Amino acid sequence: MFGQLADGFLALTDPVTFLYLVGGFLLGIVFGAIPGLTATLAIALLLPFTFGMKVADALVMVAGIYMAGIYAGSITGITLNIPGAPSGAITTIEGNALMKRGEGVQALGVSALSSAIGGLIGTVVLISLAQPVSSLALLFQTPDKFSLVLLAIVTVTIVSQGSLLKAAVAMAIGLMISTVGMDPMAPVGRFDFDSYHLIEGVGLLPAVIGLFAICEMIAQSGIPAKLVQGVAAGQVARPRRRDFIPRREQLRQIGIWNSVKSSVIGVVIGMLPGGGASMASFIAYADAKRGSKHPEQYGKGSYEGLAASESANNAMCGGAVIPLLTMGIPGDAVTAIIFGVLLIHGLVPGPALLGANFPLIAPMFAALFVASIFVFLSVLAFGPVYLRLSQINRGFLYAFIGLISMVGVYASSFSIFQMWMALAIGVLAYFLRRFGYPVVPALMGVILGPYFEEFLRRSLIVSEGDPTIFLRSPASVVLLVMTAAFVWFLRIRPARLAAAAAKKGEGA
Amino acid sequence: MTRRVTGQVLFAFVLLGLNTVYASQVLEMPFPFATGEPGPAFMPMLLCGLVYLGVLKILINEFRSPEPAPEVESALSAIPRLGIVGPLAAIALIGLFVIVFFYAGYIVAAAFYTFAISLFFNYEQSGSWGRSVIFAVLTSAAITVFGWLFFVKLFGLYLPMWEL
Repeated sequence: MFGQLADGFLALTDPVTFLYLVGGFLLGIVFGAIPGLTATLAIALLLPFTFGMKVADALVMVAGIYMAGIYAGSITGITLNIPGAPSGAITTIEGNALMKRGEGVQALGVSALSSAIGGLIGTVVLISLAQPVSSLALLFQTPDKFSLVLLAIVTVTIVSQGSLLKAAVAMAIGLMISTVGMDPMAPVGRFDFDSYHLIEGVGLLPAVIGLFAICEMIAQSGIPAKLVQGVAAGQVARPRRRDFIPRREQLRQIGIWNSVKSSVIGVVIGMLPGGGASMASFIAYADAKRGSKHPEQYGKGSYEGLAASESANNAMCGGAVIPLLTMGIPGDAVTAIIFGVLLIHGLVPGPALLGANFPLIAPMFAALFVASIFVFLSVLAFGPVYLRLSQINRGFLYAFIGLISMVGVYASSFSIFQMWMALAIGVLAYFLRRFGYPVVPALMGVILGPYFEEFLRRSLIVSEGDPTIFLRSPASVVLLVMTAAFVWFLRIRPARLAAAAAKKGEGA
Repeated sequence: MTRRVTGQVLFAFVLLGLNTVYASQVLEMPFPFATGEPGPAFMPMLLCGLVYLGVLKILINEFRSPEPAPEVESALSAIPRLGIVGPLAAIALIGLFVIVFFYAGYIVAAAFYTFAISLFFNYEQSGSWGRSVIFAVLTSAAITVFGWLFFVKLFGLYLPMWEL
């Protein structure tokens, strides 16, 4: 394994592969930093082009976007109080408070350093755990696989923001989209309305482009620019590059233990389906505050809180890739699209992937490691530019996204019908979003739907329709108990506590 | 007093309508376990039921909640009623792009599409036609050429050019 891993690092010395890593990293920075654009969207736009790339180049570029995109969410959060991505929301609290105190440049430096530490720790854990977890996953039987997919589907639904009902409906819509086309187990078409286009099913690419790129463009066209680009460019200072290096007293204030602990929290949350960068940063931040000697500084500009949040959300990247590669279960939108990238290249994520194809995946591990280092180097190189990223002309930006996404769909399938499909899914996604239905569960439904249905039906065929088959295997029982525990701890218990607190408030 | 029908309620009815179209196809399949196996209709039937129940509950919650205040038009944009006009324009432009792409090829479709989108966003922001048109022309030329270089030259993918 170590030899193959070393080969993965060596693959990055190929100038073309290295350029893909740098290109992906810069794309991730731009998309992560601009409010409304995300790493998910950047990888979705990249998806059509991966057809023409070598598998190593595609995975390396995706890794660069992922690591950079998660980090860059903090940039406009710190400078403008508008997080570029949801993962930067917690960082924004401390980072922007520091910015208002005149320490914005230092906040950007600490944010980059902490993200780099988190990213490195996450990648090391990924490299260490990937193969042992794969070996364990090989023992899974069909009912266990069903329970695992159910865990992912339920968790992604319950961690969505807003109404649980709407998240469940969005997930069901995604699953419904996945049922269009040939039945996975019988030679019959479903929901094809006698169209030969629909019998092929809804492709992953139009679904991803529609749910993210088209939906985003439609949504942005209804938001006034003055609302998005609230702060004038002139208000942002022009610092020197060396100002971005964190000072010794700040590093002492943060503490190495704080960064390591937050990174471990990030990795663990990343491994859970539906965990995501936002949850990782929030839990690490809350934990750091609980154990801090200066909890009173939190919310008013704490370097400790900033570092905890940033270490965790970048450590999450390595953690989130573990269930994807070892069990074939994407835990969030980005890993769901990486799932698509692997499929496009004929690699099926799951327990067997790392056995036969480790040499193909190793460059991605190496790229995550190197991209983590790039995160810190990038703030030294481009720090002054970061302060102005959110001011890119929206006309140029959305014309670019609109064209690349639609032509990308065509170029990957040579089908005008798939372009219409992307538009239809984009319009549906826009209305879902507008009326408070989260889009990520829908994407997870589209991706996990075929597996969910196949494992469910196979299990029921074996048991002759007896649903207790899911309670006969220890692994399946553990996964079902985990699902129930997540529902209890993430939805039911907080709702009861909130209701009790509201009652208490009324009584007082 | 009658309650105002909100977009939220209308959208819930649209989802119910789409779910009914989906359900009509499920009814054409063999009933689950009719042959002893779950069959192709099993999961779609479960999903249909879930969506009916979920959307009906959303509708009930919506009717029980206090009536939302009417949206106040934002004065931040040069385009009146941007929240409705913007998305409609974007959807129309994308649809038009697909049609023009099919009949006239990449160059014409891309140039028109990027010009129109850039013009829309720039005019919305600045309120100045002259400046927006100049910027849109430059944006359109740059992105159309970039797209051609990117797709055709860099990745070697085929785009309809009609021998242009």
